[in-house]
Amino acid sequence: MPTFSLDGRQVEFQPGDTVIAAAHRSGIDIPHYCWHPGLSVAANCRMCLVEVAPPAGRPAMMLDVLRYDEKKGGYVPAKKPKLQPACQLPVAEGMEIKSQTSEHVKEARSAVQEMLLLNHPVDCPICDQAGECRLQDYWLEHNGKPKRMKDEIIHMPKAVDFGPTIVYDAERCIVCTRCVRFCEEVVGDPVLDKRERGNLGEIVLAPGRQLDHAYTLMTEHVCPVGALTAKDFRFKARVWFLRTVPSVCQGCATGCNSYTDFDPRNQTVFRHRPRENQAINKYWMCDAGMLDYQRVHKHRVLEGAVRGQSVTLNMALSSAAHELQKFGTDAALLLSAQHSTEDNLAVVELAKVLGISKFYLTGRPYGEGDHILRDADKNPNRAGAILAASGVRVGNSDALLADIRAGAVQQLLALGSQTETDDLAQALARVPQLVALSTHEGPIAKAALVLLPASSWAEASGTFVNRNGVAQVSDKAITPRGSSQPAWKLAILLAEQLGKALPFKKANDVKAAVNSSVNAGAQA
Amino acid sequence: MEPLDVELDETEVELPTEPMLVNVGPAHPAMHGTVRCVMELSGESIRRVDVQVGYLHRGFEKMCERGTWTQVFPYVDRCNYVSPMLNNVGFAMACEKMLGVEVPERCQWYRMALGELARISDHLTCDGAMAMELGAFTPFLWMVKARDMIWDLMEEETGARMTHSFGRVGGMAKPPTDNFKEHAIAVVDQVDHIIDEVQKLLYGNRIFLDRLEGVGIISQTDAISLGWTGPCLRASGVPYDVRRAHPYMKYGEVEFDIPVGKNSDCLDRFMMRIEEIRESGKIVRQCVARLPDSGPINVDDPRVVLPEKDQVYGTIEATIQHFKIVMEGLKLPAGEVYSYTEGGNGELGFYLVSDGSGTPYRVRIRPPSFLATAGLERVITGQMVADVVPCFGSLNMIGGECDR
Repeated sequence: MPTFSLDGRQVEFQPGDTVIAAAHRSGIDIPHYCWHPGLSVAANCRMCLVEVAPPAGRPAMMLDVLRYDEKKGGYVPAKKPKLQPACQLPVAEGMEIKSQTSEHVKEARSAVQEMLLLNHPVDCPICDQAGECRLQDYWLEHNGKPKRMKDEIIHMPKAVDFGPTIVYDAERCIVCTRCVRFCEEVVGDPVLDKRERGNLGEIVLAPGRQLDHAYTLMTEHVCPVGALTAKDFRFKARVWFLRTVPSVCQGCATGCNSYTDFDPRNQTVFRHRPRENQAINKYWMCDAGMLDYQRVHKHRVLEGAVRGQSVTLNMALSSAAHELQKFGTDAALLLSAQHSTEDNLAVVELAKVLGISKFYLTGRPYGEGDHILRDADKNPNRAGAILAASGVRVGNSDALLADIRAGAVQQLLALGSQTETDDLAQALARVPQLVALSTHEGPIAKAALVLLPASSWAEASGTFVNRNGVAQVSDKAITPRGSSQPAWKLAILLAEQLGKALPFKKANDVKAAVNSSVNAGAQA
Repeated sequence: MEPLDVELDETEVELPTEPMLVNVGPAHPAMHGTVRCVMELSGESIRRVDVQVGYLHRGFEKMCERGTWTQVFPYVDRCNYVSPMLNNVGFAMACEKMLGVEVPERCQWYRMALGELARISDHLTCDGAMAMELGAFTPFLWMVKARDMIWDLMEEETGARMTHSFGRVGGMAKPPTDNFKEHAIAVVDQVDHIIDEVQKLLYGNRIFLDRLEGVGIISQTDAISLGWTGPCLRASGVPYDVRRAHPYMKYGEVEFDIPVGKNSDCLDRFMMRIEEIRESGKIVRQCVARLPDSGPINVDDPRVVLPEKDQVYGTIEATIQHFKIVMEGLKLPAGEVYSYTEGGNGELGFYLVSDGSGTPYRVRIRPPSFLATAGLERVITGQMVADVVPCFGSLNMIGGECDR
């Protein structure tokens, strides 16, 4: 691979790379605001300026400047090299670039940083971006000097309502246009634009429009400062108190890679952020996916119930075992495309122990999809649930509906909370013996004779297989809420109550079983 | 007349004796730290002793790993709580060594002056308590009176009498007050005067001398091999003082003598501290003379030093600076460092490991008391049980520092 020299270090690049992109790939960070690896180059923040050595035998391009001379007490003519933005400069073989080692670059970055903070309000204490703000990081790294300007800062509109999800603060904005470019290039909906210039530059909405497409929260995510804030996260938490685990979005069958940010002190999940994965979601996520974390805390089943009466988990388990013992030839198992492969595999094994041979699968209703990320199937693990059935034919929602109406399903062991169709939701009420393992309130929990509280995806590590058959692990963020337990654990506990043994006892065993079934699925 | 003590035949009163186990401490008025001695006595002499430390263990080296580097200062205050300023400065210097910054000259003189005053208060406490435990209550009161003057000064400078938390990485919390110089000189004069009086009271007192002279002797070789430093080591004739051997701050530029002992007994260790109080007084006078009246007290480094409050509330740059240091903590470069200064009881070392984040990865303290207390067993074995008190007192174990 061809190389160029960056601060004396040889860096590889691919033809067509810019300096910043090649450095980024090699793990070297050249400071930047406006450049984003997934967006076009704007080169307007000037933070990534670098010094380029002239080709051999050619003079460097020099600029005439005035420099303050303390001895003389005035400005004297001087020269400095013409710096170039690393984000816009294509690399060529053997190029010599100075970034951190050039005094001129240091001076330029310090000046850019000072300029960006010139009219910035004193907002850190009330700004959601504080703690993960580029302005804060770069001021300390590249400037570190007190304010020199004595004048009042230019005041701009604050808390501008951009739409159902986003609030804009023009004072904090450095007009890097990342949000503008994101809407135009990734979403294809140029709803944002920039107007005016210099001190007065700000981001505006297209006339008569709101920022209301399906990827609005990504504008907040690409914003390097606190200009765009998400209404959902505004004033909820300070980021330095949050901890992060890698997770997989539960919003649809795409399986976007995400980070789950949660507060370990009160075990609360606060947000979802995209995690870069070029094969699946690149750098992005949709609004529905980013807000999907809310389901961890909303409408949850946290206690066991028998005939609608709340009971302890142990009582619910023994009641469930009592019912399961009565299961006969009319019994069936309902898998869930919402649950992890671990959960589905464990209930499949439990069903095998009970002699159940009729398997069905349901999940959340289908919704809207697009060609960017969103899939119409709003379930993260349809493929994984089918893999977990290990070859047994799995009937769909309509098949289950038909069988219930025909009276062929009298006893049902159900995993999950929601059904794909309303008809099925109503039909479930006609199943006399329904034992359910549910995370959320919904038709299945409502129809259950015995209800066991299952943990959501954020409370246990789980494997999810997306629409393309890619199996991905989502890590545990918080401890199980209420008396809930992961569904795979409930299945093991139920088997114990029945005096039966499942092929696994611990989380690691379940994981190993899932891995082997996923591998088998990949080979088939 | 018949003598009162009747000549008795030795064999008649020889009672059968067997070793007796006596337990002193951990909570005993004579064990001023919480330390426990299990002694095997034959009559009144100690045949064997087991010294047990750790009763004041608060695990604060571990606690340091939770906060920021700045938040370590209150913990080191509570290490040797008789001379917290020396700990503050010692820790600050370790961090500064890691960062590669040097505090301004004004700060160095200020730190030295406060540090020597702290050393005086440390020695006054140790010697005063030693005298009191041998029944001499007056010298104790006089010395504590002198110590109170120092603490008054500390209160005026730092706002707190004991646990100042006044050191900062890269400087001090505040510059010297306007009348610091006069105040310090007045205090040192008073201390010298009181020390003279104490000397007059004690050095001619037969009872006091008999209790200390030739008691608790330790050989020079033993003292070195035990890792002793400070007054206890110097009492055995080794002139090792970090201030002279490895000068830091401005110690290379001030004149002072290093007193050494001859016999390495309790009396030598007592006198060592009296002499060091005088030497510290000399240093304080020189520091005060050379302390500039104006100039920066903190290094000019936004990574390390908090900005002025009015700037924090008024400008975004200072807000960011404040934010970075308070929320994330100042960041020491990844690596490790051992930095050592002369504490009240000897070489006070800080071994720091940083992973480059704002939180310490490891803070290890080399407490001089810990190594001194390790020698207690050797010092009191073979002595009378009553000698435990002056021997233990002369080693000046500080529980907070020894057990940490």
